[in-house]
Amino acid sequence: MHFIESWFWFGFAALGFAILFNVPKRTLTAIFMMGGFGGLVKLLFLEWNNGVILGTLIASIFVGFVSIAAAHSKHSPPFVFAIPAVIPMVPGSFAYYTMKGIIKLAYNQTPEDFLPLLNETVTNGFKTMFILLAIAVGVFAPMLLTARESAKQIKIPLFSHDKNQG
Amino acid sequence: MTMKWIVLGIKKFSMQQATNNNDHLNDLGDLLLEVGTLLMSAGANTNRIRVTMKRIAQSYHNQAEFLITHRAIMLTIYDEKGKTFFNQVKQTYAQVPDFTMVSGISRLSWHIVEEQLPMAEVRKEIERLKSKPKYPRWVVLTAVAFACSSFCRLAGGDPLEMGAVFFAAITGLFLRQELTKKSFNPYFSVFLAAFLSTIISGSLGYFGLYEHDNITLVTSILYLIPGIPLINSISDFLDGYSLNGLVRAVNGFVISFAIASGLLIALLIYNFV
Repeated sequence: MHFIESWFWFGFAALGFAILFNVPKRTLTAIFMMGGFGGLVKLLFLEWNNGVILGTLIASIFVGFVSIAAAHSKHSPPFVFAIPAVIPMVPGSFAYYTMKGIIKLAYNQTPEDFLPLLNETVTNGFKTMFILLAIAVGVFAPMLLTARESAKQIKIPLFSHDKNQG
Repeated sequence: MTMKWIVLGIKKFSMQQATNNNDHLNDLGDLLLEVGTLLMSAGANTNRIRVTMKRIAQSYHNQAEFLITHRAIMLTIYDEKGKTFFNQVKQTYAQVPDFTMVSGISRLSWHIVEEQLPMAEVRKEIERLKSKPKYPRWVVLTAVAFACSSFCRLAGGDPLEMGAVFFAAITGLFLRQELTKKSFNPYFSVFLAAFLSTIISGSLGYFGLYEHDNITLVTSILYLIPGIPLINSISDFLDGYSLNGLVRAVNGFVISFAIASGLLIALLIYNFV
């Protein structure tokens, strides 16, 4: 039940950004689905393992591959689907705690407080950085793995009726 | 006598051919620059711009070389003798994400390749794409604010917090749109929007109405995150356009810094630090 609810909210988060980026109307449902299921992949991974960076990478690779299939069926470039769909995975709270930590470090701290704070801030900062990197690389993964210049040349057997557009 | 007229006639004919060809190359140059600058301002990555421009040039049987940067595109077209014929620089438009434009131009480029569309029709199609209506303003405001509430819910917020985030995001986005209309500095408008949103979303928490101040503060500014510059930056790096990747990354970091500064001032005002 918890997962169904999360799917719903992930979908709406992706949808909001899709509208902010002015995507074509025909792509909206696909983006909602991709945002929702991409978020679910990440949550399911986190259930099994606590690695948020690896989870994000896997989820965005998933979104990247589905975006190519969606691009074939809805006739839009894949990144039109992929960018709004991965935005819900952006590490907002890690970035926030990094920022807050840096502000605290700028104040005068006692030596006892300083080290744990530094620890926490640096960890959060690196997590933010690597999650962003994982998102970008994941979205780009289909292109890397297939060594093609255009998504039109990549065949994904999900929508095989659409061979001409492939 | 007649011979002379014939020679003159042939000369005149070949000159006409040349001017027609020159007109064609001029049109093609203008078209390629228009397509490139539109794609750059709509948020496409560098490789997509290069591939699209190359594809169009090739389908009109011309060789084109170009330099694509964030603020301008430089284009050289060669005529069939291999001489430089067309050489021009065009400034890109203001950066406004518009994926409908990217998608439309991508489809158009395939139409050009497959159906050999005449240049005039391509022009008409681009004008149509430019004048295509966008989503109504209230739809954008509501959808984006609801997206921020969804983030809040995902982070564990309750309905009251979601409402606060919705209100904060909708006000901040409205402010940002107004500032952009009045052509304020884009980073400054991001800063002001982040400040306004965090002041609003933090206010209820300041009076102790709910538990998770952090969640409401952070999710109410998520509509500002520079997702397109950062993702495009990595894809440009991976494609080997290091310079463009660097420019986009710096752009994304300056936006993040503007958000962080707005947030910081609100935090200091509320003594949340």
